[in-house]
Amino acid sequence: MKRVFSGLLCCVAATAVLAHAHLKTAVPADGATVNAAPPQVVLNFSEPAHLTACWLQKEDGPKQKIADLPTTPSARITVPLPRLEPGVYVLSWRVVGDDTHIVPGRIRFTVAPAGH
Amino acid sequence: MPDILSGVLRALSFMLQLQAAGAVFFAAAFGPALTISAAGIRKLAQASATIAVCVVAVQYVLEAARMAGDMAGIFDDQLQALAWDSNVGGSFVVRELGLLLIVAGTRRVAAVRGFALLGVLGAVLVAVSFTLMGHTVHHAHRPILAPLLLAHLLIVAFWFGALWPLCLVSQRESRERAARVVRLFSATAFWLVPVILIVGVAMAALLLPDIAALRQPYGRLLVTKVILFAVLMALAALNKWRLGPALQSPDLQAGRAFRGVVISEYVIIAGVLAVTAVMTEFFSPE
Repeated sequence: MKRVFSGLLCCVAATAVLAHAHLKTAVPADGATVNAAPPQVVLNFSEPAHLTACWLQKEDGPKQKIADLPTTPSARITVPLPRLEPGVYVLSWRVVGDDTHIVPGRIRFTVAPAGH
Repeated sequence: MPDILSGVLRALSFMLQLQAAGAVFFAAAFGPALTISAAGIRKLAQASATIAVCVVAVQYVLEAARMAGDMAGIFDDQLQALAWDSNVGGSFVVRELGLLLIVAGTRRVAAVRGFALLGVLGAVLVAVSFTLMGHTVHHAHRPILAPLLLAHLLIVAFWFGALWPLCLVSQRESRERAARVVRLFSATAFWLVPVILIVGVAMAALLLPDIAALRQPYGRLLVTKVILFAVLMALAALNKWRLGPALQSPDLQAGRAFRGVVISEYVIIAGVLAVTAVMTEFFSPE
């Protein structure tokens, strides 16, 4: 029975379409340290997604909502950033994919002090 | 905050919708065998559907708040438009229409048979609304998944929605009549309820990318549902073969024992629905 179930799963897996919009890559990448403050973050998702909310938080500081988000769904979303000082930042967001599920996500990156 | 509130409302709305739909199915299937419990079952369906109309509406309005990550999103026109234009909007309209048909079909004046069919149509529409959104909509196997999900929901509604009416029947009807209705219900449920598991496994096989996905949050919750289902099967068997037939005996304890097990089934299914609400709202099968 277990073999039958596993076989069925394998057959199906080849054609299954993954449902939720997942982050595939980001620039800067999650956990990256950059020498110069990035003017933007580029998020690449597994499918076209609609960015409905986005926040930036520096270390233990307050979460700042980012305005002027793209209004059209896309698999590649560019988030404009304010001028960043050296420190550790967390960018968090919510996207809505084709299946209408609301998916939260976050990346952490560090802006190194000048000269490092 | 909107996530927690939405999750709680989702679980509550699952219970109310399935209760309303199931009570309608029960009345349609076993109505001719009922006497004094019929009015209570009709009122149960009507009250469940009426409350569900409100809960589903609040849940829908909260979608924009969830998109925004805070309650202020409720007042964001763009996000509300996004929800309305998505599958969520279409599903919401069909679901509310189905619930309103149940309310109309269970009114006292709707005792006329043809009009009461409105309730059954409403119950089916409520189940259909679940196939218009969620993980199955954009899946490559949608032509198989949508009918499977519909069958799954209709049978769950039939089972879950019958539990409260069964308590009313065992409490209000004569011993012979109660035993007869329970026997009729058990005979139908005996063939239908196992289909819930068969269909559920088939859906899991289509939705999960591989067997390892069972170790992810969605998979773990799915396994929890299967374990709870096994417990429910044991309770249902106890009712079918022991406590149901015992209702015919003059022993007053027989009715209490039967209702005790039925209430246990109700609580466990409510737990399964809460697990389903969390699973489908916050996690993905992949």
